[in-house]
Amino acid sequence: MSDRNFFLSPKASKARLREAENARRNRWDIIKAHSQGQVSRRDLIKMGLFTGAGLMIPISGLSPFARSVFADSNIPTGLPPSPLFGVQAFSTPMPRFDVLPRQPVSVLNPAPTAQANTTQQPVDPALGGGTGPIEGRPPGPIWAHQQFAQLPPVIAIQATMEGAKTNNVYNPGVPSLQNSGINPANPIPFKFHPGLPIQNVLKDWTYNGTIPPKLMMVRYGEPVLFRLRNRLPVNQSQNGGFGIHTISTHEHNGHHGAENDGFTGAFFFPNQFYDYHYPVVLAGRNSINTTATDNRASGPTDAGGLNKIAGDWHETMSTHWFHDHMFSFTAQNVYKGMAGMFNIYSGLDRGAEDINDGVNLRLPSGRASVSGKSWGNLDYDVNLMIAEKAWDANGQLAMDIFEFDGFLGDQMTVNLTFKPFMEVERRKYRFRILNGSVSRFFKIALSDGSPMIQIANDGNLFPHPVVLTQLDEQGIAERYDIVIDFSRYSVGQKVWMVNLAEHQDGKKVDKDLSIAEALSGNSSDPCVGKFLEFRIARNPAQPDISQVPSTMIPNPDLSAIPVARERVFEFNRGAGQTTNDPVTTFFGPWGIKTDNQGGTLAADYGRVSAAPRFGTREIWTLRNGGGGWDHPIHIHFEECQTLARDGSAANVPAWERGRKDVWRLRPGGEVKITLQFRDFGGMFMEHCHNTMHEDNAMLLRWEIDDLGGPFLRPLPTPIPKPQGVTFIPPDDILPTAL
Amino acid sequence: MNTQLNIKTRRRRFSPIVVTLLVGVAAVLVLGNPSVQAQTTTAAGASTVDSSITIATSGTVSDPNGAITVSGSVIIKCRRVIDTTSTTIPPLVLLDFDLSQVKGTTGSGKTLKTYVTGDNHATALRPFQASDTIVVTIPYFDSTKDILSASAFLVTATVNFDISTGKLTSGSLTYGTNIFSSSGVGTFTPAM
Repeated sequence: MSDRNFFLSPKASKARLREAENARRNRWDIIKAHSQGQVSRRDLIKMGLFTGAGLMIPISGLSPFARSVFADSNIPTGLPPSPLFGVQAFSTPMPRFDVLPRQPVSVLNPAPTAQANTTQQPVDPALGGGTGPIEGRPPGPIWAHQQFAQLPPVIAIQATMEGAKTNNVYNPGVPSLQNSGINPANPIPFKFHPGLPIQNVLKDWTYNGTIPPKLMMVRYGEPVLFRLRNRLPVNQSQNGGFGIHTISTHEHNGHHGAENDGFTGAFFFPNQFYDYHYPVVLAGRNSINTTATDNRASGPTDAGGLNKIAGDWHETMSTHWFHDHMFSFTAQNVYKGMAGMFNIYSGLDRGAEDINDGVNLRLPSGRASVSGKSWGNLDYDVNLMIAEKAWDANGQLAMDIFEFDGFLGDQMTVNLTFKPFMEVERRKYRFRILNGSVSRFFKIALSDGSPMIQIANDGNLFPHPVVLTQLDEQGIAERYDIVIDFSRYSVGQKVWMVNLAEHQDGKKVDKDLSIAEALSGNSSDPCVGKFLEFRIARNPAQPDISQVPSTMIPNPDLSAIPVARERVFEFNRGAGQTTNDPVTTFFGPWGIKTDNQGGTLAADYGRVSAAPRFGTREIWTLRNGGGGWDHPIHIHFEECQTLARDGSAANVPAWERGRKDVWRLRPGGEVKITLQFRDFGGMFMEHCHNTMHEDNAMLLRWEIDDLGGPFLRPLPTPIPKPQGVTFIPPDDILPTAL
Repeated sequence: MNTQLNIKTRRRRFSPIVVTLLVGVAAVLVLGNPSVQAQTTTAAGASTVDSSITIATSGTVSDPNGAITVSGSVIIKCRRVIDTTSTTIPPLVLLDFDLSQVKGTTGSGKTLKTYVTGDNHATALRPFQASDTIVVTIPYFDSTKDILSASAFLVTATVNFDISTGKLTSGSLTYGTNIFSSSGVGTFTPAM
């Protein structure tokens, strides 16, 4: 057992626990003041509380990580453990996701518009007063919804962003029997477990302000308008100590125009809305299968048929998620609860296992003949959002925003419920597993070492399924779709999902444990071991006819597409900043060096680091510049293929040979990928999805700006204000960008 | 850890007698000297040493169809990583066990069955030390069936390193019956 840990053991001495709690409270005052804009990091440096690199100096009595007077050695102490109020693990059912209603677009008032709706409204004095636009999307043609006339929204999905409240309209999308007996008619107070305290309205901010987390269900060929209304407090100090009330939602990893991508600098304010247009199209729609003749390039129709669409069926995606992407505040806002999942249904993956049309892969989901739903059956298709949390002595969500190496919680949650159980039948289930943590990696196995079939990575079904007994490490934002066959168990048995990845801090996994080690209870990491209990409750009412075909979705063949150029991005600690715009810049310690030129740069969303030509393909190398940390790197917009790891194609494991959008670089590691730039344009991002690294400030902007129309090369940078978005020229354009 | 005492073996096809006979019998044979390859690189903030060994293995695991004789080469790749920007971050190793060449058989003649592990790799990140033991379960399935029929057996790998160079120098593998198949399963009383 290690003695270098993020959290103190509950068995630590009372004096040591008290010392850590006092330090956390003292530190909390600084965190709160900083999060509320009362003091900047520059101010903290002047006060001697921060180093020039942006690190908080571990002063005893101020930092839980300062050396303890009660410690046996010069070892940092750690945070006090989250109290459990007598709650036991696996004593409450896991709620399925809460499906957001799909409505006709006609319900939207005002009606959506291609360009941002700049109708004026009064602005609250706390936000500067005057008037401002009702929609926070940057105005004008550059930020207009691309191809809005060709792909008009058919379905409206609406949500609010607001503080924690009771859910009175829970829709799990499945009968109670398939939701571990949860009666959706019962109100659901915002608690991580029925035995834990109700969360304060300012501590947790989620879509619609409620739990369980939300699920959007969409299908190819049916464009969606997602209207998000910001109902967070206008007063920035009303944030519960962390988080910010300006927001931007990224649909991870949608193939659509940048105006819908949740660009980090396209945030909007309380009392505004933002219309995200998700056309739900296949990549290559303007160059491949343009006449929509291929059955495999399709969405499911209500009648059980196929709605053929343009594009490359090899680019079909399935499991996405959506989350806040506010510049420098993504970690805080996502940790507060701004995350949901996004299932895309297609002819290939339609979520109806009994439709045998020669296209449908018939993956575990449910029967159309039973539910009456020809697509999107969730009975045996389960979204899991795994994220660890921490709470204070009062049971309220707690976070330390100054842990720039990475923040870890000490209590595992699944679908925002503390260590729940799930009742399952003796048959195959599909699980769409999202790592929704801030900084923690997971490595998942079943407690009995049984095989699991991995079928997708980051929402992309594999060319061929892969059988594993323990999944690879799963970085933040990665999605692993797996199939577990519970028919191997008897009714009355139970088995657990187990986390094998042991952390000591938020930099990286410290050690991958064996199942025996993880189950021994000896790990100093409180999030190692069992976190989800499966109870084999009954036999299925109908035979399991679902399938896991040996061939699913082959990779797109890019061999005929020339490589226009190569770029290298190195992810380092010790970044510098060359610009000083007060809105668009932030400073380290993290940053990215581009094309081996100059130094490592901290984030500035006004800087153009790369501008690939529209219609081309490139090869990008993503390099970890250090050996003491890992980075899950995310590239927005287009799914990529992994060409090599650490210089060799042979090092790419079977589960990474499909398409991906997040790569764990691994300590001292390197990944080479290839991607295309097509169909849409605008400014996108590339960043570490350890969101503490991302926010401080391992993020860059790249853009597709040469596709004509309203686009300018380079694109002007949006500067959002409650009174309206203005534009400024880029702060910086790297020499190799264009 | 599961504290349920009245645990039933989850698969009938694992005969308790067979398991009893074969646990501990599962053998390791490291045939000859492992081949070792190594390469060192240094990046801005990391020093890495890549090395690999190939070992010929054999052993026995239990299965409802009888004892499976397992054999095949296992390639163990190792990357030792040192962070050169910090003296407080301990070195680590990234290990990759390529078990794709491991095969098993039962019976003979017309009753011969062949088992494969698929394209299987096991990976582990571990602190760097002179010797380490890693225990993983590995799926295997009848080569005439699909992967949904897979079961798992146990692999216990011992790997040895040269502390000064960071290179993987030798290793051995033991195959055995998956001990977690019963210990990792609990019981409850379903609602009627």
